[in-house]
Amino acid sequence: MSRNPNAYCGFLLMLIAHAILLVGFLGSWEYATALGIIDPTFFGRPSQIGSFLVNGFVHGTKLWGELAWTFAGTICAFLLGSIAAIITGFLFVSSPWLERFLNPYLSALNAMPRIALAPLFILWFGLGLGSKVAVGVTLTYFVVLASATAGIRGVSQDHVVLMNTLGAKPYQLFWRITLPNAVPVMFSGLRLGLIYALLGVVGTEIIASQHGIGQQLSYFASMFNMSGVMGLLFVLAMVASVINLALSRIEEFLRRWQ
Amino acid sequence: MVGASSRIDSSRPQPMNLEERPAIKIADLSLSFGPNLQVLDKVSLSAKPGEFVSIVGPSGCGKTTILNLLAGLVQVPYAGSISILDRPPQLGSQDVAYMLARDCMIPWRDAIGNASFGLQIRGTPKRERLSRASALLEQVGLAGFEHTLPKQLSHGMRQRCALARTFALNSSVLLMDEPFGALDAQTKLQLEDVLVDLWQAERRTVIFITHDIGEAIALSDRVIVMSGRPGRIISDTIIPLPRPRSVRELQKDPLFHEIYAHVWGMLEDGWRGGNVAKS
Repeated sequence: MSRNPNAYCGFLLMLIAHAILLVGFLGSWEYATALGIIDPTFFGRPSQIGSFLVNGFVHGTKLWGELAWTFAGTICAFLLGSIAAIITGFLFVSSPWLERFLNPYLSALNAMPRIALAPLFILWFGLGLGSKVAVGVTLTYFVVLASATAGIRGVSQDHVVLMNTLGAKPYQLFWRITLPNAVPVMFSGLRLGLIYALLGVVGTEIIASQHGIGQQLSYFASMFNMSGVMGLLFVLAMVASVINLALSRIEEFLRRWQ
Repeated sequence: MVGASSRIDSSRPQPMNLEERPAIKIADLSLSFGPNLQVLDKVSLSAKPGEFVSIVGPSGCGKTTILNLLAGLVQVPYAGSISILDRPPQLGSQDVAYMLARDCMIPWRDAIGNASFGLQIRGTPKRERLSRASALLEQVGLAGFEHTLPKQLSHGMRQRCALARTFALNSSVLLMDEPFGALDAQTKLQLEDVLVDLWQAERRTVIFITHDIGEAIALSDRVIVMSGRPGRIISDTIIPLPRPRSVRELQKDPLFHEIYAHVWGMLEDGWRGGNVAKS
């Protein structure tokens, strides 16, 4: 890959600026704690956050295990929620009557703060993965539904005519034309849906759980271990960023024909 | 037109060849959309197997409706009878390939993916459909563009690819609805030659809808002229130009221009309300 020297310089400069910002921020935080200006009981301390993360991820496997619970819950919620949303979208496009009929119910459910369902789901599905996935699904489903319906509706009539004259079966029309055609529009919803799935899972873990980053977060907060809390928030930010980056890559790949 | 009439045979109704069964036969077809909108009025036409028949006429004369009826795309009650290979029209029949003015490229498939798409939908195994599609891409002049996406192809190239997709199917009847209607004049001539070459290599029954008389004459064995709404057949002209033909060479052929003037005259008669052909 050839990079033009100007762009390379700009990139280097950007990197240096980031380093200065982060070192400056974390350094003054650490220094202020050492001087007693900031109370580490409430704000943690960068060096302790660092050792917390190293202990959890490098010297032990504790945090990896918790991360795996949260990650598994998020992926399950995302897959179930978006598949259900795509199926619903397809049904809505096939039958506008059904869409009009169900619309008031769906609007009401969508307007409701879904995290309020968590106590109910914890009673129904227990403290394990089930209740987290359930809350995640309710969040993901509605976010994906709108964009899936729009994407599926956007199929070109010319393609439908072509498929009909070729004698295509309905499933061929769906897999070969309708679904791939809907991908670009659907993706904005899917991207948001994954972040919402993470939100639902972590939120429910905070309320009641045996495992997961959210459960650890609420545990450390109740113990006034702020370095632990900060460390876990950092982990969550990283997880969300990685998810976003991965989705961008997938989207780029799926939309390369546009 | 004295010289022309001796060589150009135009008659209505056309003589039926009793020895050969027609691939397409339409008899006394009348069709109305609602009580006040008669689209077709007692249209009869037929095409022999391997014959290239064009239908020209003013817009709104129902020529596309005839094609859509043949393809089974319009499901409305009509009077008269339609048959393709002795069967009533059936949407999605393997006997029929359909091509539109818009190229209908699938944007996420490359050229060979598009050219082989029809075969894939009709269940041809992968290796077979890819070899057939790549042979056809070569025939339409798209060799080397197999893995190019439609967005990177010009309009003409996309329509070439659509021709490859249509001819890749082993349907014996091709229905074409102004396939070159959206192209500029130069590209159109090139594409007409590609079509003539494809058809001459492998003769199939073609019903070709166009509003361009020159195109119809250059490509066809017979040109059918229709009147404005309600659509009636004004004339059915056998084109005496020899084959194999080259559309670009024909532009300089005096006989071509003579036939052009003749068919044009037919069309004008139709506009004046005279619906019986004068030869």
